[in-house]
Amino acid sequence: MNTVPQDVVELRLPPDAKYIAVVRLMVAGVASRVGIDVDEVDDMKVAISEAFTNTIDHAYQGRDPGLVTVRMIPSDAALRIEVIDEGLGFDPGSRDFTQLGALTGEGGLGLYLVHQYMDEVKIESAPGSGTRVIMTKRLSR
Amino acid sequence: MDVVDGWLQTIRVEGELDAYTAPQFMEAVTQTLDEGFSWLVVDLRQVEFIDSVGLGILIGGSKRAGEKNGDMAVACDRPNVRRVFEVSGTAELLNVVDELAHAVEILATERAARIGGQVCKPGGEAQ
Repeated sequence: MNTVPQDVVELRLPPDAKYIAVVRLMVAGVASRVGIDVDEVDDMKVAISEAFTNTIDHAYQGRDPGLVTVRMIPSDAALRIEVIDEGLGFDPGSRDFTQLGALTGEGGLGLYLVHQYMDEVKIESAPGSGTRVIMTKRLSR
Repeated sequence: MDVVDGWLQTIRVEGELDAYTAPQFMEAVTQTLDEGFSWLVVDLRQVEFIDSVGLGILIGGSKRAGEKNGDMAVACDRPNVRRVFEVSGTAELLNVVDELAHAVEILATERAARIGGQVCKPGGEAQ
Protein backbone atom coordinates (compact mmCIF):
# COMPACT_ATOMS: atom_id res chain seq x y z
CA MET A 1 0.00 0.00 0.00
CA ASN A 2 1.35 3.38 -0.97
CA THR A 3 1.42 6.08 1.67
CA VAL A 4 1.41 9.73 0.78
CA PRO A 5 4.54 11.40 2.13
CA GLN A 6 4.00 14.19 4.61
CA ASP A 7 4.55 17.68 3.25
CA VAL A 8 7.59 19.43 4.63
CA VAL A 9 8.52 22.98 3.65
CA GLU A 10 11.98 23.94 4.79
CA LEU A 11 14.44 26.82 4.60
CA ARG A 12 18.05 26.69 5.72
CA LEU A 13 19.61 30.08 6.12
CA PRO A 14 22.19 32.03 8.08
CA PRO A 15 21.14 33.64 11.38
CA ASP A 16 21.05 37.09 9.79
CA ALA A 17 18.37 39.74 10.39
CA LYS A 18 18.10 40.41 6.67
CA TYR A 19 16.33 37.05 6.31
CA ILE A 20 13.62 37.67 8.92
CA ALA A 21 11.21 39.03 6.33
CA VAL A 22 11.93 36.00 4.08
CA VAL A 23 11.06 33.61 6.90
CA ARG A 24 7.86 35.56 7.63
CA LEU A 25 6.85 35.33 3.98
CA MET A 26 7.36 31.57 3.92
CA VAL A 27 5.35 31.04 7.08
CA ALA A 28 2.55 33.35 5.90
CA GLY A 29 2.42 31.62 2.52
CA VAL A 30 2.20 28.09 3.87
CA ALA A 31 -0.23 29.09 6.64
CA SER A 32 -2.54 30.69 4.08
CA ARG A 33 -2.37 27.58 1.88
CA VAL A 34 -3.56 25.33 4.71
CA GLY A 35 -6.52 27.61 5.41
CA ILE A 36 -5.44 29.56 8.46
CA ASP A 37 -7.34 32.86 8.57
CA VAL A 38 -5.62 36.17 7.98
CA ASP A 39 -5.62 37.29 11.63
CA GLU A 40 -3.97 34.10 12.77
CA VAL A 41 -1.46 34.32 9.92
CA ASP A 42 -0.53 37.76 11.26
CA ASP A 43 -0.05 36.22 14.71
CA MET A 44 2.18 33.51 13.28
CA LYS A 45 4.32 36.11 11.51
CA VAL A 46 5.06 37.67 14.89
CA ALA A 47 5.81 34.28 16.45
CA ILE A 48 8.26 33.21 13.73
CA SER A 49 9.98 36.61 13.78
CA GLU A 50 10.51 36.27 17.50
CA ALA A 51 11.84 32.72 17.27
CA PHE A 52 14.22 33.53 14.41
CA THR A 53 15.40 36.76 16.07
CA ASN A 54 16.15 34.83 19.26
CA THR A 55 18.34 32.49 17.25
CA ILE A 56 20.18 35.43 15.68
CA ASP A 57 20.71 37.06 19.08
CA HIS A 58 21.63 34.08 21.19
CA ALA A 59 22.47 30.87 19.33
CA TYR A 60 25.94 31.55 18.02
CA GLN A 61 27.39 34.16 20.35
CA GLY A 62 31.19 33.97 20.28
CA ARG A 63 31.39 31.18 17.73
CA ASP A 64 31.12 30.80 13.95
CA PRO A 65 27.46 30.94 12.99
CA GLY A 66 25.93 27.82 11.50
CA LEU A 67 22.75 27.62 9.52
CA VAL A 68 19.27 27.83 10.98
CA THR A 69 16.56 25.50 9.74
CA VAL A 70 12.97 26.74 9.60
CA ARG A 71 10.70 23.79 8.92
CA MET A 72 6.96 23.75 8.41
CA ILE A 73 4.94 20.55 8.59
CA PRO A 74 1.24 20.88 7.78
CA SER A 75 -1.23 18.17 8.72
CA ASP A 76 -5.02 17.90 8.73
CA ALA A 77 -5.13 19.07 12.33
CA ALA A 78 -2.34 21.58 12.72
CA LEU A 79 0.56 23.48 11.26
CA ARG A 80 3.82 22.76 13.01
CA ILE A 81 6.78 25.14 12.70
CA GLU A 82 10.27 24.29 13.92
CA VAL A 83 13.22 26.65 14.26
CA ILE A 84 16.38 24.62 14.71
CA ASP A 85 19.91 25.79 15.38
CA GLU A 86 23.11 24.03 16.38
CA GLY A 87 24.27 26.84 18.63
CA LEU A 88 25.01 27.30 22.30
CA GLY A 89 21.69 26.10 23.63
CA PHE A 90 20.29 27.06 27.02
CA ASP A 91 18.26 25.67 29.87
CA PRO A 92 14.64 26.29 28.82
CA GLY A 93 13.51 25.72 32.40
CA SER A 94 15.60 28.64 33.64
CA ARG A 95 12.77 31.10 33.08
CA ASP A 96 9.02 31.01 32.66
CA PHE A 97 8.41 32.50 29.23
CA THR A 98 4.65 32.08 29.55
CA GLN A 99 4.54 34.94 32.06
CA LEU A 100 5.04 38.59 31.20
CA GLY A 101 7.96 39.91 33.21
CA ALA A 102 8.94 43.48 33.91
CA LEU A 103 8.84 45.60 30.77
CA THR A 104 12.47 46.55 30.68
CA GLY A 105 12.94 46.08 26.95
CA GLU A 106 15.77 43.68 27.73
CA GLY A 107 14.43 40.45 26.32
CA GLY A 108 12.01 37.75 27.35
CA LEU A 109 9.15 39.57 25.66
CA GLY A 110 9.82 37.77 22.39
CA LEU A 111 9.25 34.25 23.70
CA TYR A 112 6.30 35.50 25.72
CA LEU A 113 4.69 36.67 22.46
CA VAL A 114 5.45 33.29 20.85
CA HIS A 115 3.51 31.59 23.65
CA GLN A 116 0.64 34.04 23.32
CA TYR A 117 0.34 33.73 19.56
CA MET A 118 0.74 29.98 19.09
CA ASP A 119 -1.42 27.19 20.45
CA GLU A 120 1.49 25.06 21.64
CA VAL A 121 5.14 25.91 22.15
CA LYS A 122 7.87 23.47 23.08
CA ILE A 123 11.54 24.32 23.47
CA GLU A 124 14.08 21.54 23.29
CA SER A 125 17.51 22.77 24.29
CA ALA A 126 20.41 22.23 26.61
CA PRO A 127 23.66 24.13 27.06
CA GLY A 128 25.98 23.17 24.19
CA SER A 129 23.39 21.15 22.32
CA GLY A 130 21.57 23.64 20.10
CA THR A 131 17.94 24.59 20.29
CA ARG A 132 14.72 23.44 18.64
CA VAL A 133 11.66 25.66 19.09
CA ILE A 134 8.50 23.82 18.08
CA MET A 135 5.40 25.95 17.56
CA THR A 136 2.00 24.60 16.65
CA LYS A 137 -1.11 26.32 15.38
CA ARG A 138 -4.20 24.16 15.38
CA LEU A 139 -6.42 24.30 12.32
CA SER A 140 -10.04 25.14 13.07
CA ARG A 141 -12.14 23.23 10.54
CA MET B 1 10.42 63.96 11.62
CA ASP B 2 8.13 66.91 12.29
CA VAL B 3 8.22 69.40 15.11
CA VAL B 4 4.86 70.57 16.42
CA ASP B 5 4.79 73.89 18.28
CA GLY B 6 8.44 73.56 19.21
CA TRP B 7 7.93 71.17 22.11
CA LEU B 8 6.79 67.97 20.43
CA GLN B 9 8.54 65.80 17.90
CA THR B 10 6.73 63.34 15.65
CA ILE B 11 8.59 60.34 14.26
CA ARG B 12 6.89 58.66 11.30
CA VAL B 13 7.68 55.05 10.54
CA GLU B 14 6.65 53.03 7.48
CA GLY B 15 6.88 49.39 6.49
CA GLU B 16 7.97 46.56 8.77
CA LEU B 17 9.64 47.06 12.14
CA ASP B 18 11.82 44.06 12.99
CA ALA B 19 15.44 43.38 13.94
CA TYR B 20 16.60 44.24 10.41
CA THR B 21 14.88 47.62 10.14
CA ALA B 22 14.91 48.58 13.83
CA PRO B 23 18.37 50.21 13.91
CA GLN B 24 17.13 53.12 11.78
CA PHE B 25 14.16 53.61 14.08
CA MET B 26 16.39 53.34 17.14
CA GLU B 27 18.63 56.04 15.69
CA ALA B 28 15.67 58.36 15.07
CA VAL B 29 14.37 57.95 18.63
CA THR B 30 17.82 58.37 20.16
CA GLN B 31 18.60 61.41 18.02
CA THR B 32 15.30 63.06 18.94
CA LEU B 33 15.91 62.57 22.65
CA ASP B 34 19.54 63.66 22.36
CA GLU B 35 18.40 66.87 20.65
CA GLY B 36 16.54 67.74 23.82
CA PHE B 37 13.00 66.69 22.97
CA SER B 38 11.22 64.86 25.74
CA TRP B 39 7.70 64.74 24.22
CA LEU B 40 7.50 62.27 21.34
CA VAL B 41 4.69 61.02 19.17
CA VAL B 42 5.56 57.93 17.15
CA ASP B 43 3.33 57.59 14.11
CA LEU B 44 3.03 53.89 13.26
CA ARG B 45 -0.07 54.18 11.07
CA GLN B 46 1.91 53.10 8.02
CA VAL B 47 3.65 50.24 9.82
CA GLU B 48 2.44 46.82 8.68
CA PHE B 49 4.38 44.69 11.13
CA ILE B 50 6.03 45.05 14.54
CA ASP B 51 7.64 42.56 16.89
CA SER B 52 9.37 42.74 20.28
CA VAL B 53 12.42 44.47 18.81
CA GLY B 54 10.32 47.47 17.83
CA LEU B 55 8.45 47.29 21.13
CA GLY B 56 11.75 47.31 23.01
CA ILE B 57 12.81 50.54 21.29
CA LEU B 58 9.47 52.16 22.09
CA ILE B 59 9.65 51.05 25.73
CA GLY B 60 13.23 52.33 26.04
CA GLY B 61 12.33 55.62 24.35
CA SER B 62 9.32 56.10 26.59
CA LYS B 63 11.46 55.45 29.65
CA ARG B 64 14.08 57.98 28.53
CA ALA B 65 11.40 60.56 27.72
CA GLY B 66 9.96 60.05 31.21
CA GLU B 67 13.39 60.58 32.75
CA LYS B 68 13.48 63.93 30.93
CA ASN B 69 10.07 64.83 32.37
CA GLY B 70 8.30 64.10 29.10
CA ASP B 71 6.40 61.18 27.65
CA MET B 72 5.68 59.25 24.48
CA ALA B 73 2.44 58.46 22.66
CA VAL B 74 1.94 56.11 19.71
CA ALA B 75 -0.55 56.46 16.86
CA CYS B 76 -1.41 53.09 15.38
CA ASP B 77 -4.61 51.91 13.74
CA ARG B 78 -3.71 48.60 12.07
CA PRO B 79 -5.38 45.77 14.00
CA ASN B 80 -2.47 43.34 13.74
CA VAL B 81 -0.01 45.94 15.04
CA ARG B 82 -2.41 47.13 17.75
CA ARG B 83 -2.79 43.52 18.85
CA VAL B 84 0.96 43.25 19.56
CA PHE B 85 0.65 46.19 21.98
CA GLU B 86 -2.43 44.67 23.63
CA VAL B 87 -0.97 41.17 23.96
CA SER B 88 2.34 42.47 25.32
CA GLY B 89 0.58 44.69 27.85
CA THR B 90 2.31 47.82 26.53
CA ALA B 91 -0.69 49.70 25.08
CA GLU B 92 -1.32 51.75 28.20
CA LEU B 93 2.33 52.33 29.04
CA LEU B 94 3.00 53.67 25.54
CA ASN B 95 -0.26 55.66 25.22
CA VAL B 96 -1.26 53.77 22.06
CA VAL B 97 -4.25 55.29 20.24
CA ASP B 98 -5.67 55.12 16.71
CA GLU B 99 -5.39 58.75 15.66
CA LEU B 100 -2.33 60.98 15.40
CA ALA B 101 -4.31 63.98 16.71
CA HIS B 102 -5.35 61.96 19.76
CA ALA B 103 -1.74 61.04 20.50
CA VAL B 104 -0.74 64.71 20.33
CA GLU B 105 -3.69 65.63 22.54
CA ILE B 106 -2.65 63.12 25.21
CA LEU B 107 0.82 64.59 25.44
CA ALA B 108 -0.44 68.20 25.30
CA THR B 109 -2.80 67.51 28.19
CA GLU B 110 -0.10 65.80 30.22
CA ARG B 111 2.35 68.62 29.54
CA ALA B 112 -0.20 71.30 30.46
CA ALA B 113 -0.84 69.54 33.74
CA ARG B 114 2.87 69.48 34.51
CA ILE B 115 3.42 73.11 33.58
CA GLY B 116 0.56 73.96 35.90
CA GLY B 117 2.39 72.03 38.60
CA GLN B 118 -0.56 69.77 39.28
CA VAL B 119 0.31 66.27 38.17
CA CYS B 120 -2.28 64.06 39.74
CA LYS B 121 -1.37 60.47 40.46
CA PRO B 122 -3.99 57.77 40.62
CA GLY B 123 -5.84 58.31 43.86
CA GLY B 124 -5.97 62.06 43.31
CA GLU B 125 -2.88 63.02 45.25
CA ALA B 126 -1.19 66.02 43.63
CA GLN B 127 2.55 66.49 43.71
